[in-house]
Amino acid sequence: MKNSVKKEETYYESIIKQGYTRREFIKFATYMTAFMGLKFSAVGQIMEALETKKRIPVIWEHFQECTGCSESFIRSDHPLVADLIFDHISLDYTDTLMAAAGHNAEEAKQASMKENYGKYILVVEGAIPTKNNGVYCTIAGRTAVDIIKESAEGAAAIITFGSCSSYGGVQAASPNPTGSVPVDKIIKNKPIIKVPGCPPISEVMTAIVLHYATFETLPELDSQGRPKQFYGKRVHDSCYRRPYFDAGLFVESFDSEEAKKGYCLYKMGCRGPVTYNSCGTTGWNNGVSFPVKSGYPCIGCSENNFWDNSPFYKRLENIPGTSIEATADKIGKIILGTAAAGAAAHTIATNVLKKKELKENECMGEINENRIKE
Amino acid sequence: MANRIVIDPITRIEGHLRIEAEIKDGKVVKAYSSSTMVRGMEKIVEGRDPRDVWAFVQRTCGVCTTVHAIASIRAVEDALGIVIPPNAEIARNLLTIAHAMQDHVVHFYHLHALDWVDVTAVLKADPKATSELAQSISKWHNSSPGYFSDVKNRIKKFVESGQLGIFANGYWGHAAMKLPPEVNLLAVAHYLEALEWQKEIVKVHTILGGKNPHPHFLVGGMASPINIDDAGGLNTERLAYVGDLLKNAHKFINEVYVPDLLAIASFYKDWGAIGGNKFNNYLSFGDLPTDNIRNPESFKWPQGIILNGDLTKIHPVDLTKTDEIQEFINKSWYNYTEGKNKGLHPWEGETNINYTGPEPPYEYLDVNKEYSFLKTPRWQGKPMEVGPLSRMLTGYVSGIPEYKEVIDFALKKLDVPVSALLSTLGRTAARGLESKLLADWGLEFYDKLITNIKNGDTRMASTEKFSPNTWPKEAKGVGYMEAPRGGLAHWIVIKDQKTANYQMVVPTTWNASPRDPKGQMSAYESALIGTPIADPKNPVEILRTIHSFDPCLACAVH
Amino acid sequence: MKANTYNYKRVYVWELPVRIFHWTTVISMAVLITTGFVIADPPAINSSSEAFNSYWFGTVRLFHFSAAFILIANLLFRIYWAFAGNRFANWRNFIPYTKKGIQNILYVLKVDIFLQKDKKHKLSDISIGHNYLAAFSYTIMTLFFVIQVITGLGLYADNSSWWLPKMFHFVVPLLGGDIKVRYIHHIFTWLFLVFILIHVYLVLYHDYVEARGEVSAMVSGFKFVRAERIKETEEEIIEKTEKQMWNGDTEDE
Ligand code: HEM
Ligand code: HEM
Ligand code: NFV
Ligand code: SF4
Ligand code: SF4
Ligand code: F3S
Ligand SMILES: [Mg+2]
Repeated sequence: MKNSVKKEETYYESIIKQGYTRREFIKFATYMTAFMGLKFSAVGQIMEALETKKRIPVIWEHFQECTGCSESFIRSDHPLVADLIFDHISLDYTDTLMAAAGHNAEEAKQASMKENYGKYILVVEGAIPTKNNGVYCTIAGRTAVDIIKESAEGAAAIITFGSCSSYGGVQAASPNPTGSVPVDKIIKNKPIIKVPGCPPISEVMTAIVLHYATFETLPELDSQGRPKQFYGKRVHDSCYRRPYFDAGLFVESFDSEEAKKGYCLYKMGCRGPVTYNSCGTTGWNNGVSFPVKSGYPCIGCSENNFWDNSPFYKRLENIPGTSIEATADKIGKIILGTAAAGAAAHTIATNVLKKKELKENECMGEINENRIKE
Repeated sequence: MANRIVIDPITRIEGHLRIEAEIKDGKVVKAYSSSTMVRGMEKIVEGRDPRDVWAFVQRTCGVCTTVHAIASIRAVEDALGIVIPPNAEIARNLLTIAHAMQDHVVHFYHLHALDWVDVTAVLKADPKATSELAQSISKWHNSSPGYFSDVKNRIKKFVESGQLGIFANGYWGHAAMKLPPEVNLLAVAHYLEALEWQKEIVKVHTILGGKNPHPHFLVGGMASPINIDDAGGLNTERLAYVGDLLKNAHKFINEVYVPDLLAIASFYKDWGAIGGNKFNNYLSFGDLPTDNIRNPESFKWPQGIILNGDLTKIHPVDLTKTDEIQEFINKSWYNYTEGKNKGLHPWEGETNINYTGPEPPYEYLDVNKEYSFLKTPRWQGKPMEVGPLSRMLTGYVSGIPEYKEVIDFALKKLDVPVSALLSTLGRTAARGLESKLLADWGLEFYDKLITNIKNGDTRMASTEKFSPNTWPKEAKGVGYMEAPRGGLAHWIVIKDQKTANYQMVVPTTWNASPRDPKGQMSAYESALIGTPIADPKNPVEILRTIHSFDPCLACAVH
Repeated sequence: MKANTYNYKRVYVWELPVRIFHWTTVISMAVLITTGFVIADPPAINSSSEAFNSYWFGTVRLFHFSAAFILIANLLFRIYWAFAGNRFANWRNFIPYTKKGIQNILYVLKVDIFLQKDKKHKLSDISIGHNYLAAFSYTIMTLFFVIQVITGLGLYADNSSWWLPKMFHFVVPLLGGDIKVRYIHHIFTWLFLVFILIHVYLVLYHDYVEARGEVSAMVSGFKFVRAERIKETEEEIIEKTEKQMWNGDTEDE
């Protein structure tokens, strides 16, 4: 059985066929509207979109990755990932879940890309190694660089899931042994929606796919190409420990009394104040928790280059290329101390070398003083 | 290379695995296993704060998320002589157990099942007969004819839409597919249910580690403090949540996973004689301490080695002895300073990537030269298989009653001899039976945690040695654990408060590696020899054996 | 001992706005640096009071941000005064683009910093306003100010609904993330401290060596200049000195 689209079936037709009722459909559309933060009046628009479109084809490429992004994706609670991939989109290629392997898999991908040229969404997970002509990631004998160029060509838009495909990720951390780069270093002529996070929150991932599937427009992006609705705020700005921060109540050691009270983790190196993500609002795994809530300082996993902003348990990173304790403060103190010592030495030198001039001045002072007395 | 077939990408696994196999008279006669992706994790963590390393190496794999993090913090704790509080040990066990159950279930339904289950045959199934079948094997509540009829309709409409998505081009109607339509329907229904369930059990991680995939960890214990009277820590609500998730997991595994496994296996008993490795050595590092990690006697998963299929004796393993575990690179795209044929113990290990394979795009690898980014680990020069099968055998041979009980139960149910365990079928069955034990242990450890708290012990971390100022100038350690795919160990050398050398030897590295200097095959290659292939263009049989190991190549290469 | 004695005359150098600017700067900088370091590494004052009763760290940050806006306004005013104020306040003083300016820098470096002998004793080498080196150092410091203001406003942008900080939204992505921006902000705080130390030292030093009322000048506005240079009025002195400054020195003592 080959992958052939018999006729253009709309999303509405497809879910009605699958035994959903009209009522359920309206409920879903309403839910989507609320989740995307739209006004209630947009429900009609969403319903119309769903009623008139066939399931959006999605090609999901896997490169230098840990597959944590795929794993996060399948944890989605709303929508359920089964509903998403069976009812809302057509996931025509993904290493992780597809039945076919080897040439059968590659043929399925080629067929979908050809048939849906200009219409499919390309999802990319993982970074792309560029060193040594890209030999550090090959699939079916072809390099990742080669493959991404081909699959980007007919894509309507690209979604880069995770810090790897958005920013380079862990393999691009110093010394970046394989010369890994994110997608936007290779593909320049397509809209790219960056969804950073290591991995990103599952519901954020599926919501973005749905946004495109329903509206066929990109979600509103910020200046760095991230969907504003999920990356507009710092973790810190929605952290429920924030009152402790403002009150200056900090944890200074793990498992301490302060830690047990849930004080702020700022002094344990928390990157919440410098990290844009929706951990504090959307939360993880259907809102159950997020690292800070469970007692762990945020490591800033959705920030560009966060891996090299280590050590994680300190607020300030080390000065690059120096030893572990060479923080800006240490060096600052040394420079300041040196300057102070310099000034002291200078004072002494002045008194020695400019003795004559100083003496003259003093002398004249005395003479003048005497003159006044006269 | 007329009779050489290539499967690349191998899908429904983690990572980039390529199998090249030569087929003669309908059987595999030669097999080569290669991974074609490398990142250089061991290099990347060099020079970093050892307390941070868990986060980096955790990103080795998001499928077996947690396992590298645990191996890493254990390695650092070993090097620095940190003993973690009992509650932290239990919490880590709960994370390991929750994860192993989730990973095994996802492997069975979403990664492995489509080798055995024909999705399109669902259309021929009778929902009423399926319901009867379901009720005869389990008391799981979703078993009415109406339920199965809904699932069938859903699949029908899906197939009729013409957009087959992840099922496009699958091995449907293949000669090797043997299930009656009703079993196919049952399996597909549970494919969907399992997908929903797996996102629940990981919430144990979300509560104890803040998120999943990639929960957070801490050298010295756990950072999630216990405070039953405050929302700031693990309080009654949080603990109850964990307990509930573990109870539901117990139910799902006993009422869905294990019955399905046995039902499907009973149609594929011939696979009890296919796909065993030919060297019959099995290694387990052991894990799930009931006391602490320094006391292997207290492990739920016992430690030890079985040699040459001798199911009467367990040999000891010592991860610190430089002549026991060594890694070879004679067929790998790496260099050692002392040449290609030497084996190195991980404390002296090196990671110098040196690609010498064909220039892409290429059709075949040159298997006479180096052909993989995996190194080849050996124990005293011998290849080892690791994984659920090794663990179940180790427990069985050690004579632990609960192991004997589940294994004998399954053997009896399927009416196969013990030797059937050393096969593709045995590997897949071991994973399910192990899940059954894990589900029990999860509840046991949970009760222990509650008892500890009741007795007033709320410690979760030991922080005296958290500050680098308290560390010796030089230290080395090894951290090991049992990951879903087998024994995992990380070796660290710390110098001047920094990571001076870091080496990981990963389950899939043992199983999927290329040949060693003696020409001995590792488990994947060895297991494939003799596998019958009905249609070389659609070699689903190779997928069955390879998938029975639950490959993870991002892990294996790192 | 053959020693000359000179008559000094008062010269009005630092107008009131400059003095107000200076001391506003000093005060706001003191607040910014102290609160800044507290923000960077807050002391743990873990009282047992409830968090909602206490806001001290929030207050520290509030002081930092308030002082920051005072500093910004102050700097903007000084830029205006660089065009509107007297010759000593003029923007030209701060950029050593003339031969004379560069020579003056070398002179100050040689005589004041490296303590070599001043052989020629050219009168014009002693500046009435800033010496060129000092002026140039203020230019560099102005650059520091700009960097602190930009990084500070960049960090502040997301907390604010006011258009001014919001305009600096571009800073964070440009510099590679919040953590980098904070880092820069932090490092420049140290550079400021070093500058201030040297600046205060040199001011005291000049006061000590030249005895022209340098320190009090920033309070009163007056410095003392040798009487030979005064013909009729202070106005003329200023004019002449200015000419010397722009055109190079022709007249010797
Ligand atoms: C030139 C004088 C200034 C100095 C010496 C100074 C110093 C500092 C220091 C040391 C920090 C802590 C940085 C860290 O986290 O390590 C800080 C934080 C900060 N400063 Fe300044 N700063 C100055 C001006 C400004 C200005 C003009 C603004 C503009 C609004 C500003 C806004 C901020 C903000 C928003 C933070 C981060 C506070 C937080 O997120 O909690 N600063 N400053
Ligand atoms: C936070 C510390 C300080 C900062 C940031 C600072 C900054 C400045 C700046 C920007 C100027 C140039 C003024 C202009 O042309 O508008 C200046 C000049 C001056 N400052 Fe400060 N100042 C500081 C502390 C002090 C202190 C403590 C004193 C007195 C002991 C002092 C004495 C002077 C004097 C005498 C001048 C004129 C120097 C000259 O003739 O070139 N300053 N200072
Ligand atoms: N092999 C492997 Fe892993 C596991 N289990 C880890 O150590 O899969 Ni991603
Ligand atoms: S972004 Fe993180 S979770 Fe996603 S693939 Fe990369 S390392 Fe894995
Ligand atoms: S815990 Fe982290 S994110 Fe939360 S308030 Fe403190 S610093 Fe901000
Ligand atoms: S580490 Fe990542 S998951 Fe959220 S709290 Fe921090 S961004
Ligand atoms: Mg290794």
